[in-house]
Amino acid sequence: MATNPKQVVTLTVNGEAHEVLIEGRRTLADVLRENVGLTGTKLGCEHGVCGACTVLLDGSAVRSCLIFAVQAEGAEIATVEGLAEDGKLDHVQQAFTDNHGLQCGFCTAGMLMSVHALLAENPDPTEDEIRVGLNGNLCRCTGYQNIVKSTAAAAAAGKAARSSAQAS
Amino acid sequence: MKPPPFTHHACRSVEEALGLLDADPDGSKVISGGQSLVPMMNLRLASPAHLVDLNPIPGLNGIDVGRGTLTLGATARQHAVERSADVTAAAPLLTAALAHVGHPQIRNRGTVVGSICHADPAAEMPAVFLTLGGEVTAQSAAGTRSIAAEDFFDSYLTTALEPNEIATAVTFNTPNGSSGWHFEEVTRRHGDFAIIGVVALLTLADGRISDARLTIFGGAATPVRLPAVEQLLVGVAAGDVDADLLAQAAREASAALRPGDDIHASGDYRRHVAGVLTARGIRTSLERASARA
Amino acid sequence: MSETIIESHLAIRKDKWIGKPTKRVEDPRYLTGTARYVADLELPRMLHAVYVRSPHPHARILSVDTSVLPGLGKSVWVFTGQDLRDVPPLIDHVALDNLLRTPQNVIAIDKVRFVGDAVAVVVAGDRYAAEDAAEQLSAAVEYEVLPPVPSVEAANAPGAALLFDDLGTNEIYRQTEKHGDTEKAFAAADRVFTTRFHHNRYGAAPMETRGVLANYERSEQQLTVWSSTQMPHFLRSVIAGQLGLPEHRVRVIAPEVGGGFGQKMCTSPEEIAIPFIALQLGRPVKWIEDRHEHLLAATQAKEEFINLEVAVSNEGKLLGVRGEFIGDGGGYSFNTESALIEPALAAKSFPGPYRIEAFDEEVAASLTNKSPVAAYRGVGWTAANTVREIMIDEIARELGIDPVEIRRRNMLRSDELPYRSVTGQLYDSGSYLESLELAMKTVDYDAFRTMQERLREQGRYLGLGISSYVEQTAWGSDSSAQAGTPLPSHDNSTVTVDPSGTVTVAVSTSCHGQGHETSYAQIAADGLGVDMADVKVVFGDTLTSPYGLGTYASRSAVIGGATVARASADVREQILKVAANMLEANPDDLVIEDGTISVAGTPSVSKTLAEVAYAAYWDSEVRSDEPMLTSTRFYDPPATYANGCVVVLAEVDADTGVVTLDRIVAIEDCGTVINPMIVEAQVQGAIVQGIGGALFEQFVYGDDGQPLTTTYMDYLIPTSTDVPPIEVLSLESPSPFSIGGIKGMGEGGQIAAPAAVANAVADALAPFGARVRKLPLAPDYVLRLMGKIGSPNG
Repeated sequence: MATNPKQVVTLTVNGEAHEVLIEGRRTLADVLRENVGLTGTKLGCEHGVCGACTVLLDGSAVRSCLIFAVQAEGAEIATVEGLAEDGKLDHVQQAFTDNHGLQCGFCTAGMLMSVHALLAENPDPTEDEIRVGLNGNLCRCTGYQNIVKSTAAAAAAGKAARSSAQAS
Repeated sequence: MKPPPFTHHACRSVEEALGLLDADPDGSKVISGGQSLVPMMNLRLASPAHLVDLNPIPGLNGIDVGRGTLTLGATARQHAVERSADVTAAAPLLTAALAHVGHPQIRNRGTVVGSICHADPAAEMPAVFLTLGGEVTAQSAAGTRSIAAEDFFDSYLTTALEPNEIATAVTFNTPNGSSGWHFEEVTRRHGDFAIIGVVALLTLADGRISDARLTIFGGAATPVRLPAVEQLLVGVAAGDVDADLLAQAAREASAALRPGDDIHASGDYRRHVAGVLTARGIRTSLERASARA
Repeated sequence: MSETIIESHLAIRKDKWIGKPTKRVEDPRYLTGTARYVADLELPRMLHAVYVRSPHPHARILSVDTSVLPGLGKSVWVFTGQDLRDVPPLIDHVALDNLLRTPQNVIAIDKVRFVGDAVAVVVAGDRYAAEDAAEQLSAAVEYEVLPPVPSVEAANAPGAALLFDDLGTNEIYRQTEKHGDTEKAFAAADRVFTTRFHHNRYGAAPMETRGVLANYERSEQQLTVWSSTQMPHFLRSVIAGQLGLPEHRVRVIAPEVGGGFGQKMCTSPEEIAIPFIALQLGRPVKWIEDRHEHLLAATQAKEEFINLEVAVSNEGKLLGVRGEFIGDGGGYSFNTESALIEPALAAKSFPGPYRIEAFDEEVAASLTNKSPVAAYRGVGWTAANTVREIMIDEIARELGIDPVEIRRRNMLRSDELPYRSVTGQLYDSGSYLESLELAMKTVDYDAFRTMQERLREQGRYLGLGISSYVEQTAWGSDSSAQAGTPLPSHDNSTVTVDPSGTVTVAVSTSCHGQGHETSYAQIAADGLGVDMADVKVVFGDTLTSPYGLGTYASRSAVIGGATVARASADVREQILKVAANMLEANPDDLVIEDGTISVAGTPSVSKTLAEVAYAAYWDSEVRSDEPMLTSTRFYDPPATYANGCVVVLAEVDADTGVVTLDRIVAIEDCGTVINPMIVEAQVQGAIVQGIGGALFEQFVYGDDGQPLTTTYMDYLIPTSTDVPPIEVLSLESPSPFSIGGIKGMGEGGQIAAPAAVANAVADALAPFGARVRKLPLAPDYVLRLMGKIGSPNG
């Protein structure tokens, strides 16, 4: 096969710079998974419906299957692997395990990133706002009940953390 | 599901993008949000040799509210537009409709201009554009022209844009103070393309409907205005819009459409519900307009 | 038949852990993105495989011109059916003589039988390059197009094209069976109601598609296959048989599996083809199904045509039923359970929780040019429950009886159990009426009816739908025989305490989201008297787990749970024996609590488990003849039956036909509960899959046999905004037959939800005389049911 020209792209993922040599057509999801080695981001449909590949691009939740890696040069990319610090789950991850917000785990990475984006914009969402905010992330196991519950718990935890930070 | 090979061009200026497009208009595709194009590429339904990327161009993501107009640059993200208080003040209809475009992640990346240029007949943005009216700023290496909203949509996924043209901005006419609007769509699920939808905008002057603009989307190869319904309404006193008139409007709306069947609904369904939504559109728009008047 | 107490030989130790909503021990790796699914695995020199699939529903393959590919044999490799002609075809395992067999080559050789049937596999160093080559090769396959057979009706029309010429028919099975005296029942009937129902074709659609990675170490003659499977050991046996390898040279690993729901139970042809290719090339080969491919080529489920005649008395008593259950099997009667998996299981489970004493069943299955039908959560039972519960509501409406009351009049009382249904299913225990009553109390039924009436006057149409169910669980040999598709099965677990006193539990069931690592650890912790944190559960690797069939048909909690409890009990005895030697006490006087063994009543005389375990392995003074603290136990359980009731409250927009679900209440009785948090979530997840089938999901094929639902824009699975809050309440009727009284669960929600939704819609639209005859209840169909557009059959 004729090889397609490759180019060097520098991606900043979870605060760390990665230089990769790739074809222009490689999606951000594939580059994160295969070139950077962060396989936590999943591919569930590759046509922008399921949300499993959701990552944060400069803080916005986006589908990494619909962005080419070359387009992400210079942006700050956050993936599920960057959430826990020194093995300690962050408040969203903790809320998901406390409330059984996951079963098979395949949608979980995308779900967590969407929850982060949702709560960054709306720290105290209603149940309806949570459902609308997450309706771009499919889950086939949970029926969403415990995902909604986990998100509400994460919002409450975030709120508590903010008020204790203010108090101190 | 991996896209076929292409050359990606990260453009730094509109001129650079136009030059690239001009060199190979049929083999090139312009990308801004890419939320419709990239799925088609991943499915290998689109295979451009060149991807002309507008995202790096500085200043192309403008959201400018003028006097009676709202101008959005080609890379203005749907989410940014949805969150803009200025946009909500000038065109609340647009803000309301944006909440129905795909999902949050799609709107974070997708652009209003891109959605209009993609011209999916079941999409929200083309219908809103057609209802509000306005123009597309189309640039090519040869120059710049304006295309009026009513001249823009040719057919399914086809617009008046030439292959060597880029829609660098879309300008919406924003309604004046005495108008009311309604946006409603029937979808299988929230966030899906519409099976059928309506956008309505009624303006009152001295208690009478002075301007009526109704658009059905999902009912034809493009979003379509409903001139017969509009004519029925213009000049009618707000208080005279009764159940009979709404029923007549609904019949006219249904009669104006010849939608086809697909897996989500039959043409019969679309025709029937286009009438239902038209009546709802008139009623709610009128309520909103009366409340403001 | 009144013995409902768990007999002592079935008892398990239940102490601090069983029955508690323990948080899942497996969660952290999923939450941090470190869990590895097949697609995440990478081996040195790994190649990527992409399928070329048939674009035609029915065609003969004339030629595949591989010469169009540059670099063939150097950087790109192609395998066609001809290259795999020595691999025996896959065939079903159902022990029924009059079922015609449809051998399926793992890559089609002469003929393709559905759009998506495998024609060739292209292999290259990179997925993108492999797709480029596959696209090129697709254009270089020559077909002779044959007339398509897009439906059961077309399959049995005179002159229909045959999918398998040598069979001489597309109908591969038809069998009538009589249970009880239907002639008498129909003669005694005041009324006979009939229906022709079409249950929709929908599918599992797990978030993780299928995927296989195979590697053959030539120097070791060792094949390792990583597959997203629910049945690693069974797959190992099949691969060894198909590829002619000694079974001990094959190792199958199910890494993290991103949902299966039954679909990953049968052997996929790809699970044979990819290992074959890896053997040929001597390099690791990975195939990851993409979503488009999944919606084309992965197995589908649930499509059935059910024709019923129901004999009833004026009081609403169900006297007898005649039912015809016709399955649309697709292009092949798929391996493991055949095309009968839908219609036969539907027929046998039809009576459900009701006292139906006369029932004639006629079961048939036909081949069509669609992707084959195989297992998906609630196989057969979903369609049976849907049609039965819809029918009961219609009968009630016709006779002017309340839908709750008609169920009360026909439902089996708990004191009638154990009860053998007219089709031979032995219901062990349950709470059929209690579940119904609790559900009605929870939704405040009378208040709903008042509100419904009031809102109807305002032009709002609210409805309440009830769906009661019995769910066959504990799939061992007995259950599968009672289901009508006999298939021997059992499972095994090994519990081992190591010299430091920590515990490893190796199980043959294979988890894909159900939380087995937590539930089994709870059972082992109670069984041994240790902390859950000291228990590690391993599974999914044929090298480290004992043989068994895996996880499907709500069997793992019953079978896996029992084997863990039994093996733990053995090991506990071994521990006590050693400890008794150390403490110079009688083993019967010893207790184990929190990892400490002590003399009952004298806690000061004690040893830690670590001390005892160390001694058991290394102290020749006290160790027994077999120093290892380990036991492997098997279980092939008697059939058990969970039960429950799902109630849906919905509103229909009478102008647009849009159905909005307002509230769902579910009662679940699965016997002894190991982890209520997991049970609740299983019910919720299953219900939402049922909602998918009721409102959104259907694999649609055109009259030309072309699939029309090949992306997630067309195949619609429910999102967070499509489902209302779901309240789950538990009742607990332990099985008198199974170890620990555990019944298994997980499918009831899917089985019951479609009828609950359909009944809610029909109830809302009762003023319009709506009768639901198919699913999904898309807005178009709802307006037809109301007579607002066209006809309901349009």
